Amino acid sequence: MTKARRVYLDHSATTPADRRVVEAMLPYLTEKFGNASSVHFFGQEARAAVDRARREIAALIGARANEIVFVSGGTEANNLAIRGVCEAAKGYPGKISLGHVITSAIEHSSVRGICNALQKNGWEVTRLPVYDEGIVRTEDVRVALRPDTVLISIMLANNEIGTIQPLDEIGALVRDERARGRRHLWLHTDAVQAAGRIPLNVDALGCDLLSLSAHKLYAPKGTGALFVRRGVRLISQNVGGHQEREKRAGTEGVPGIVAFGAASKFAREEMDERSKHDRQLRDIFEAGVAEHVADIVFNGNLARRLPNLSNVSFRFIEGEGLLISLDLQGIAVSTGSACSSGTLEPSPVIRALGRNDELARGAIRFSFGKDNTEEDVEYVLKVLPQLVEKLRALSPLNKVSSFEFQVNPSEL
Amino acid sequence: MPYSEAFKDHIANPRNAGELPDANATGEETNPVCGDRLRLSLQVREGRIEAAGFLAYGCPPTLVCGSILTELITGKTIEEVGNLKRKDLLDALGGLPSRKQHAAALAIETLRRALSSGRASSPSQPERFPR
Repeated sequence: MTKARRVYLDHSATTPADRRVVEAMLPYLTEKFGNASSVHFFGQEARAAVDRARREIAALIGARANEIVFVSGGTEANNLAIRGVCEAAKGYPGKISLGHVITSAIEHSSVRGICNALQKNGWEVTRLPVYDEGIVRTEDVRVALRPDTVLISIMLANNEIGTIQPLDEIGALVRDERARGRRHLWLHTDAVQAAGRIPLNVDALGCDLLSLSAHKLYAPKGTGALFVRRGVRLISQNVGGHQEREKRAGTEGVPGIVAFGAASKFAREEMDERSKHDRQLRDIFEAGVAEHVADIVFNGNLARRLPNLSNVSFRFIEGEGLLISLDLQGIAVSTGSACSSGTLEPSPVIRALGRNDELARGAIRFSFGKDNTEEDVEYVLKVLPQLVEKLRALSPLNKVSSFEFQVNPSEL
Repeated sequence: MPYSEAFKDHIANPRNAGELPDANATGEETNPVCGDRLRLSLQVREGRIEAAGFLAYGCPPTLVCGSILTELITGKTIEEVGNLKRKDLLDALGGLPSRKQHAAALAIETLRRALSSGRASSPSQPERFPR
């Protein structure tokens, strides 16, 4: 058996570490191994490297270096932001111990999980709809605001359909509220998918907190960052050390942080080139799928989304069957089907677009990256229509193949 | 999730896919929890399943269980397949994770439904099938 070609189209799940990034990181595993909190030479060498990385990450999002808190990844960044800000509300002049949070119906599972946990503890949560295009309306945020609203947490770009949310408008709304004397309303955005793929500036967005993850931008897993605007009060979720300006106790993961810094530098320098490349492949792919496969639906607003991502619902079939069939041909993708997530409910994101269960279960995410080639796309376009056709031939939902036959009682 | 070689083979090359045009017994079942569906069409002659076809919608274990079921029952008598259990399917597949085993249960239920549609489950009425 010949070894199948391998095509990785799951860059929204994770990216391979860039070799240049790994090279920058390696010395910090061996000879430059110091603990960044140590006073001696080894410690100071590590400290300097962490601070250089901090400046690179700050530069990627238009922040100051001292507004960057290193954490273990996007999920921890979201936990620290949301829980940290909500717990701090107890100390506000009004002493809000149980307040109100506004979020969207299509947040990443970490934000969804944190908001569910807050709700269990007595907080109130408003989950804004995203309509059929997958985009929150700023007017809905305005309407949802209450006197006890402490936090608005809305992702910058969705992880399943890539739609870009109007954070700048929401940021302007929050600034208006502040100008009218409201002091304790904060705006958090999960920018894990957006970072490195579209230009980011925390001042243009008007956000107070912003979550990042290293492994979505060609650095290793295990490192993330939270931007915390100067003046935002946050209760540390990890206690027992003074690291990260008292916001996150624990020895800094120096090699991962160095890698994250290097990756941020390359992401900033190469962003235009990468997004142009990803967009080109994605557009070739979508044109090809539309031409060769009938009964499909592209999910999310096609203009306001990340350049590297395409989400397609294939009618009559279940996403995981297609995922495994593609995998057997060497092609790696993700699906919104329930089986994959280990739950019984299909993708809440696709459902939030108003799509039915069949479309939600048949949704596949194709996410492109800087190392994909046109040949990769050609191969996928050759294989995919055949696999879809094969699975549809099995489907009792497919009008062509089924329900015409009835048991003829006279034969029995 | 690691799938067995047999599993991958059935996903890549489903056996007896489609609806038999000259079936005299059919059954369709839906898993009420996850919505997976399986449809079985049988051609039964003189108490023996001469041909079987399946259609399936749902997670890969459901598709695979449909495929392997048709393989296990083709050529067998109604009596023989009457004893077919979930475990027989799982064994033929090299096992399934426990949370996927409902797929095998759905396949067995669909078989029972198909057999009862042709009154084949009752050995006392074999004459109801055309000879």
